[in-house]
Amino acid sequence: MVHEAIAATNAVVTLDVALPGIVWGWIITMNMWAKSVGTGIIFLAFFLLKKYPNETGFIRFPVVAISIVFIHIFLFFTVIDLHQMFRFWHIFFHPHWTSAITVGAWMATGFVGLLFGMAYAVYMKKDVVLYDKLLGYTTLLAIPVTLYTAGLMAESTARELWQMPTESAQMILAALLAGTSAMILMGGNKFSDSINKDLGLVLGLSAFAAFILYMSEYIFGGMKAEEVAATLEFVKGGEYTVMFWIGQVMAFLVPMALVSLSLKNKSFYLLKIAAVSALVGLWVSKHVWLVIPQLLNMS
Amino acid sequence: MQLGFLVDLRLCMGCKGCEIACKVENEVPLSTWRLRVKYVDVGTFPETKRTFTPLRCNHCANAPCERICPVSALHYIENGIVNIDKERCIGCAGCVMACPYGAIYIDPQTQTADKCTYCAHRIASSMMPSCVVACPVEANIFGDLDDPTSNISKYIMSHQGNVQVRKPEKGTEPHHFYVGGGNIQLNPLASFRGEGHNLFNNLTHLPVGGHH
Repeated sequence: MVHEAIAATNAVVTLDVALPGIVWGWIITMNMWAKSVGTGIIFLAFFLLKKYPNETGFIRFPVVAISIVFIHIFLFFTVIDLHQMFRFWHIFFHPHWTSAITVGAWMATGFVGLLFGMAYAVYMKKDVVLYDKLLGYTTLLAIPVTLYTAGLMAESTARELWQMPTESAQMILAALLAGTSAMILMGGNKFSDSINKDLGLVLGLSAFAAFILYMSEYIFGGMKAEEVAATLEFVKGGEYTVMFWIGQVMAFLVPMALVSLSLKNKSFYLLKIAAVSALVGLWVSKHVWLVIPQLLNMS
Repeated sequence: MQLGFLVDLRLCMGCKGCEIACKVENEVPLSTWRLRVKYVDVGTFPETKRTFTPLRCNHCANAPCERICPVSALHYIENGIVNIDKERCIGCAGCVMACPYGAIYIDPQTQTADKCTYCAHRIASSMMPSCVVACPVEANIFGDLDDPTSNISKYIMSHQGNVQVRKPEKGTEPHHFYVGGGNIQLNPLASFRGEGHNLFNNLTHLPVGGHH
């Protein structure tokens, strides 16, 4: 056994029954991923309707429809991950305000209410002014709805890898990446070249910034905390290495490359491939980052 | 009143009496533990020794589990214990993610979070926690940290310089202390963990939260 011991301590755990297990798995990944799409497309809608009001009027209804669908996917996976899902209402009747979960649940509820208000304005009332007014409030509320999961991860004291403000930046960038991708796919061929160029820039830059953050943590994270170093071993030759790099390539590197080619050649068809790659890769990247800290033994 | 725990690791002989007493007293289901004893082997043959470390909830003054709980299922009671209301818990597992000591688990029977409560129900009846009663060598010392005449306060005073807590860098301010411990007992990263090298190789585990 000695040859397997950590050299410095020459110590081997011979019995510890509390083995680590993945408590937050793919359901929480779905939660974060769907939320990124649901809030991200609102950010992009706000941007496009402000910058190109005459060309983008047609996005109003599909944007709110997509956001409603994805926010409900997010809510669905949030609820089914609860081991006591039928007690979900406790969050509203016994709220504990130091918890990011509580704050997020209330924010998300308000966000959903505003989304239905926007749907009512554009579909039933045909009132574009009301829609745009509500969109402003919805965009503001989309910021904390996007960020609360980062707060939750920061409150997870045991998981050293999830640091603030890095997670906040990652959540916002993920929302921009997913929102732009969804907008590109939703827009089809209806967007002008200048709009496509803007969407490409947002997609490429958010992918670039997110990749920089991941690589910064990958390279330097372990230099400050041994728990982070031990966690990163799972993606540095460990069991999640392949999945980690698949995520990084699909979410960030491929979109960056395709956006560059697309802007250079004015071939915006490539943006659609970039968007699909980004959406798939984002799920994989988020999943790896969610899971690996849970593999570390706490005792 | 601030109740606290102290384990004198020099006395603990790894009998697991505390673990069994806790299981029985609190009806802790299979594959889950409120209290368990970790074994770490140290040294090179023939100069080897085995260390034993009882691990349980630290009832932190700045408890991450209490902070992250969205419904106050985890809450402080007046004697400083971090207690859990299983009827209120929604099973979000935020506390499991927050606890740096791995002391919280999802009960596979109730599908709610659970952990050591310092046997709060026994304390309410002026009884000691079951693990304290079961320990044959009185390695578990329990009492009021605010009372300078309590056994635990006197023990801490008489062993100053040799009293430690787990992961102090987390800022959780645990109310659970160890005397005679070292890095290998208290730091999970200081010891090697190998698959298939446990004493009970065929130990099986239910998935987290049982059938969920």
